[in-house]
Formats: sequence, C-alpha cells, structure tokens
Amino acid sequence: MKRVLGLALGVFTAIGGFMDIGDLVTDALIGARFGLALVWVTVVAVIGISTYSEMAGRVATITGRPVFDLVRERTGPRIALGNVVVSYLVNALTLVAELCGVALALELLSDVHYLLWVPAVAVLAFVVLWKLPYEMMERVYGLTGLALFVFVFAVWQLGPDWGQMLSDVTRPSVPAGEGLPTYFFYAIVMLGAQMTPYEVFFFSSGAVEHEWDASQLLDARVNVFLGYPIGGALAIGIQAVAYLALQPAGIQVEHLGQTVLPVAIAFGKIGIALAVLGIVAATFGSVMETLLSSSYTVAQHFGWEWGKAKKPVEASRFTALTLLTLVAAVGVALTAWNPITITIYSVYLGAATLPFTYVPILIVANDRNYLGDHVNGRLANGLGVIYLVVVTAAALAALPLLIITKGGL
Amino acid sequence: MHAGLDLLDRHVVDRDGRAVGKVDDLEIECAEDGTVEVTALLLGPEALGRRIGGALGRSMGGIAARFSGDPEPARIGLELVEELDIVIKLKHPLHQLPVGRFERWVREHVIEPLPGATDATG
Repeated sequence: MKRVLGLALGVFTAIGGFMDIGDLVTDALIGARFGLALVWVTVVAVIGISTYSEMAGRVATITGRPVFDLVRERTGPRIALGNVVVSYLVNALTLVAELCGVALALELLSDVHYLLWVPAVAVLAFVVLWKLPYEMMERVYGLTGLALFVFVFAVWQLGPDWGQMLSDVTRPSVPAGEGLPTYFFYAIVMLGAQMTPYEVFFFSSGAVEHEWDASQLLDARVNVFLGYPIGGALAIGIQAVAYLALQPAGIQVEHLGQTVLPVAIAFGKIGIALAVLGIVAATFGSVMETLLSSSYTVAQHFGWEWGKAKKPVEASRFTALTLLTLVAAVGVALTAWNPITITIYSVYLGAATLPFTYVPILIVANDRNYLGDHVNGRLANGLGVIYLVVVTAAALAALPLLIITKGGL
Repeated sequence: MHAGLDLLDRHVVDRDGRAVGKVDDLEIECAEDGTVEVTALLLGPEALGRRIGGALGRSMGGIAARFSGDPEPARIGLELVEELDIVIKLKHPLHQLPVGRFERWVREHVIEPLPGATDATG
C-alpha cells in the first residue's frame, strides 16, 4: 500500500512537472486561434519527452549521476561548456517566465499588480529552497497542481459536439485567415512548451537528490510513462476549452486571465478559484524546477558539490549560484517586459535548443561503461533517433519561421 | 590505459564521496627512454581554460588566477588516487587536499553569514 502511494505521489509530481506557464499560455492561445488543429503536436511531444526522460532517469538511477554530469567525458570540455551556457540561459529565461506566471495568477485573485507579486514569489522560493525538504516540495505543488483538472471537467460542462471535435483532431486543418507558416510556427512553440529542456535536467538530477538507485528504476519509469501522458491530457483539455469558449467569441489570448475564462464560463467562481489554485501551484513548482535546473547544469559541468537536499554550506557554490540566478531573474522580470512575450520567447528558445539537450542523453544512454546491461534497447534508440530528427528539424525551422511570421502575428 | 579517454573530464570525489571537481587536465612526464607517464591530475578553471583555449579559455584561467593569486591549477599526484572508475576516488578527505579554495571562499563569505545555512533541508 505504501509502495502504491509512493508511486502515485511520484506520478502527481510528474503531472505538475509537465505543466508550466509555457503550457498554460500556449495551450490557451493555440486553442483560441487554431482550435484542435495542433492537438497532434501534444501527442508527438508527450511521446518524445517520455522517451528522453526515461533515458535520463535510467542513467541517473543506474549510475547515481545525472546525464549532464557524465556528458563532458564524452563530448569534451569545449562543446560541453557551450551546451551548459545555452542550457543555463534558456533555463534562467524560463525561470523569469514562471516567476511572472505565478505573479500573474496572484494578480487575477487579488487585483494587485503582478510586478508587486514578483519579489514576494521570489522570497517564497527562497524559503522553500532553504527550509522545505525536497520530497515535500515536490509533493505540495504536485498535489495542489491537480486542481488544474478543472480544465478537463470544463470540456464536458461546455457540452461540445464530440464528433466534430474528434474530426478536428484527426483531420487537422489550418483555420481560415491563418497562414501555413504561422501554423507551423505555433506547432514549434507548442513542441517547445511541452518538451521543455528543464524537465529532463530536473528529472535526472531529482533522481540523484532522492538518492534513487537501480532498484527504483520502476519508480522512474512509472513517473514518466503515467505522469507525462496525464499531463498531456491536461494540456489538450486547456486547448479544448479555449477552442469551445474563446474561439466562437473571437477572443485572442493575450493575458493569463483569458486562459482561465473558459473555466469561469463553465463553473463560475468555484471554477476560477480551482483554476487559479492549480496555476499557482504548477507555475510555482516550475519556478523551483527551472531555478534548480539552472544551477544543476553548471555545477555538474564543473564538478561542484550540488544538491538542494544538502546543507547550503556543504554545496556553497551551487547554493550561491542558485541565489544569484533567482535575484537576476527577479531583476529581469521587474523590467516589466511583457510576461506573455517572455513566455513565448522562452518556449521558442527551448524548442530551438532541444537538440543540445537530447544529443548528450542519447550518447550516454548508449554507453555500456556507465550502464552495463541497462543501455538503450531498440525501441528507445529507434524513438530517440526519430525524435532527434524531429527536434533538429524544428530547431532549424524555428528562426526562419520566427522571421516570416514576425513572431506568430 | 588511454589517458585522454579514461581520465580527462572524469568526476573526482574525496574519501567520503564529496565532490572534489573534474579532471580538467593531466600532468605528463616524458622519461628519457621515450615513455610517457601521467603523474598528476590537474583541477580547476586554470587548467580547464588552457584546454578550452582561445579568448574564452584565457579569460577563464585569468579570472581564476586573479582570485586565487596563483596561475597554477590544483595538482593531485596519482599516488593520492584510491580508485580509478567512472568516478575517481581519492585517499584523503577534502580538507586535506590542495583544492577547494573557491568553494571555501564562497562558503565563508556568502553562504555561512546567511541564517540557517548549516541546517539540512533533506
């Protein structure tokens, strides 16, 4: 029983880990503009993130060391350093977006401007970093984040034409008034929102923080293969309610409030409360995950002692970098640069740099020196290579599409 | 043993498993009979900077040298190595090794002054 409960809690954590501000904004934005015509991207993304997270989790449980701790030995210091710099910057920009996300959700509740909430959220992140045990941290935001299922229930409440929805999903078409480049630009943005690089950094480093060993490989796999698909179902739910409630009214998503609007239409105040609670939990969880991932990658590259579960004095450089990153992210957020724009760009940059994240994982997951008999099988390698082609194609197409569509306008 | 593949960039831990750093470079001696032997592991940004090369490598080594007041990287003689595996384990605890100046400086000047820095969060 305790075992089942432990597994279930892990899955809830993974669902919370999948959802973040990038998802919440792009799902609603895309649902309102493109209906269900990009649901297939979510399916593609869930299979991809599951494939690579399983590899990263397997490497960490078998070797006791996360992928980015090992990769320097295989690619050499120059390429690895370039990779770390890119990963750090993308993680840190995503952190800015997540901080703003929590603050925007609190603004919806309080009518206090989000910029005033940003420092408060950062202080809370500091307290969690300093005081809350690792597992507790994950469970609190994982369980609270389940309130987001109100978006899925809202699909039923809005009473859709199921036959029409099914045909929209299975026979996607570009809506009238939208160009094909714009459609593909948003397909890449959605891919980036759902295959965010920090998820694999956090998952593999988290396995080490939990002190998982080979006997917990099953835990890692259940987390990935149940948690991410359920997270994907949530994402499709958000797209569907935006399509049902926002598209007919011609509403474009330019603010987090519009993400919540369909739930308000379906369930009224209680719906708003649950949606905002879920959003605060999911984005705050992502604040912690992107923050820690930023310093995980750097510490692991240089061989510093690292870990949130350690005493701060036992991992001083790691802790100092984490605090510095948090302060810098607050600074960038307070420039009052449009938070929705920051979100879209962080997601876009995540997509454009995905090959840098995935190549090392594929290399290490095939290395018998580290993994022995636990190296990739045919299925993992087959999917791994296919997804490497997919994310590389997306990364190459990202810049031309950004220019042609002027950022998706 | 192929030094370049088997030693470079490996993770180094102390006797108790605490992180010491990465093998950033190697000290190699050529004997008179022409044999080449690895004599020590070199750790720290000074060594890594030299290997990365270019303006970036030079500035990395330069900044590290300015902070530590010593242009040479930390040197760990091979006689201090307990075990060579996917992780290199040393015979001594961290405080007896000639490494960790930067970690110590950050601990004493940045982390320790903060309240609760010595509490484990778990």
